Amino acid sequence: MANLNGRARRKNTYDAIVVGSGITGGIAAKELTQKGLKVLVLERGRMVRHLEDYPTAVLDPWQTKYPQGQLPQAELAAHYPVQRRTNYTMTEYTQHFFVRDDENPYSEESRFDWIRGYHVGGRSLTWGRQSYRHSPIDFEANGREGIGVDWPIRYEDLAPWYEHVERFIGVSGQREGLAHFPDGHYQPPMEMNCVEKAFKAKSEARFPERRVSIGRAAHLTEPTEEQLSLGRTKCQFRNMCIRGCPFGGYYSSNSGGLVAAERTGNMVIRPNSIVTELIYDEKAGKATGVRILDAETKKDEEFYADVVFLCASAFNSTWIMMNSTSSRFPNGFGNASDQLGRNVMDHHLGVGATGEAPEFADMYYSGRRPNGIYVPRFRNLGDAATKRSDYLRGFGYQGGAYRAGWDRDLGNRAQGAKGFGAGRKAALSQPGPWTMGLGGFGEILPYEDNRITLNRDVKDAFGLPTLTFNVTIRENEIAMRRDMQNAAAEMLEAAGFKNVQGKDGGYAPGLGIHEMGTARMGRDPKTSVLNAHNQVHECKNVYVTDGAAMTSASCVNPSLTYMALTARAADHAVKARKRGDL
Amino acid sequence: MLNRRDAIRGLALAVGVGASGWAERALAAAAPAPALTWTPTALTQDQARLLDVVAELIIPATDSPGARAAGVPQFIDRAVGDYYEKSQVEQLLAGLARMDADARAAHGDAFVALAPEHQVALLTTYDQQAGVARGQNQSHFFTALEDMVTVGYFTSEAGATMALRYDPVPGAYHGCVPLSEVGRAWATR
Repeated sequence: MANLNGRARRKNTYDAIVVGSGITGGIAAKELTQKGLKVLVLERGRMVRHLEDYPTAVLDPWQTKYPQGQLPQAELAAHYPVQRRTNYTMTEYTQHFFVRDDENPYSEESRFDWIRGYHVGGRSLTWGRQSYRHSPIDFEANGREGIGVDWPIRYEDLAPWYEHVERFIGVSGQREGLAHFPDGHYQPPMEMNCVEKAFKAKSEARFPERRVSIGRAAHLTEPTEEQLSLGRTKCQFRNMCIRGCPFGGYYSSNSGGLVAAERTGNMVIRPNSIVTELIYDEKAGKATGVRILDAETKKDEEFYADVVFLCASAFNSTWIMMNSTSSRFPNGFGNASDQLGRNVMDHHLGVGATGEAPEFADMYYSGRRPNGIYVPRFRNLGDAATKRSDYLRGFGYQGGAYRAGWDRDLGNRAQGAKGFGAGRKAALSQPGPWTMGLGGFGEILPYEDNRITLNRDVKDAFGLPTLTFNVTIRENEIAMRRDMQNAAAEMLEAAGFKNVQGKDGGYAPGLGIHEMGTARMGRDPKTSVLNAHNQVHECKNVYVTDGAAMTSASCVNPSLTYMALTARAADHAVKARKRGDL
Repeated sequence: MLNRRDAIRGLALAVGVGASGWAERALAAAAPAPALTWTPTALTQDQARLLDVVAELIIPATDSPGARAAGVPQFIDRAVGDYYEKSQVEQLLAGLARMDADARAAHGDAFVALAPEHQVALLTTYDQQAGVARGQNQSHFFTALEDMVTVGYFTSEAGATMALRYDPVPGAYHGCVPLSEVGRAWATR
């Protein structure tokens, strides 16, 4: 039913279309509607309403169908062969927030763990909530080192938008006053436990440049009037975030951006709407809207707008552009540079160290902190003292200390006879030893041949083309991993921990669930897809503001940066539209 | 929201005991095995009865309910039907069969009919064998059985709320608290 005319076309026309309702789609919807635009939000998956559609949010451990809420192996193998790879995302508690792989196939020339959630809110419901700003050196590194292309913006361009987003979503954190780890606008920090405090004191005494901070997490510890008015309340320290929070204690699109957008009266949200392509008007030289496949009726439909925001997650926004071919864009939308699909990045992880705390056997904690400690990057900061000769860029550590629980002797973990009866029961009813772990999150450089390509031979459940992945880490990342392991071990040893064990558990691209790149920002249309305002160089009324836009990865968790880029781009779009520049 | 005290009170009523009743139940565990009060769906009646006895030996009633009162045998029966891998089920059933065979060889009767000290002696043997097997990174039915009981117990309402401490909505996080103020391990992290 393409090419609507007259009234039908007017009915399907909005000021702006936002594709995707996750962490960036929610911000785009909020910003654009609050600035007065009529906005259509298109989401490929089902509706998920805040509070109503969190079916496992208050399940107690004894209320699960299966032991410990784990799904049977046969079900995992049949439906979730990829989603299970993290070992924590796919459980009875979370199953409804992740895709079925058998219905959403892709091809792996090299292993790529693509963990996805197709529903309103996307992965903003299940994200790790760690919220850090990229630093000035992150924005300068590519240009200075001749890697990839230079970012077309600098820290100062994004700083006010970081603050704008932090004030809206609410971030709990500690200011540290470090130039390479910029402070933001924070609600009170969460507390470290006894072992973490002692670790901080002793490790910093030995390694003063390795600051030990508490994680900066998008949880409300002192909610603002605005947050309360949206129906959100303080974090209750349940640590069941991934199931959806009945308190709105952490930020999600469902509890935040989409609620704010809805309250303006300017938003229409349409679930089950798979955007298949951008509609390009050759004469006008701009996009006029998008074509969707209705996942329920299986029919095509078109929607029109002055401006389109692609917020569908890095690879799906890129997929839409790859699938949007025309005589103007035979190789994919806005792809004269041939950079579309290239420079796939993630954060490499799964390497670090653990140790046992020698003290505090008589101390414990109460509440379940949904956050850990954070050690900001301390390598290659631009001075001689932190310079590494074996790799570029750096990594941060996330970790924490906890006391082992009742499950500490399961499987083959216990040495010798475990015993049984009242003695073992009493022992397991008490907390076990304190263990502390540090796990690195390392920057991956942009490599042009780390890429996704459109595969028209393999179709998904809707008959749509799919993606093929070819992504690997290289020498720089491998050298960094050795340092990530050794430096963690030496910090724990310096702090007096016993039985310190460095470990590299391996990493496959994607496991960080921080997909980035594939439609990078840059100054030159010949070498990048997007400009400094996230506009497609070759079609200014299409903005791409999710992870696809990233020119380099930094080593910090990226969602806050995506949100800041989105808010900045929305401001730009509204002003440009008003000027008649789109 | 949920209230922990109400939940505990509700459970105490449900299992029909007050705070002072656990000692009596501990003694009851030493008496001949009671008849099953539930109907197995995946296990046979004999397998379920044996599981019921051995689960209570692994996690007996003390100052908190044991595996039987916590519903652990039913938990395992259910998981045999819909969760455990085929190899796990085979190992469990072979283990139960072996326990009966060993009981008959040593004492001429089924495991459930043995005197408690004979039951404990057999389990002690299995526990030591399982320890040796773990040292060689091999599986042993008693490791698997003990794990099934342990998971079932500490994720049960009785285990989580009475043997451990469970707080569905802590409301706050305190990083440095004397263990004596908490008293037991937290049921969830």
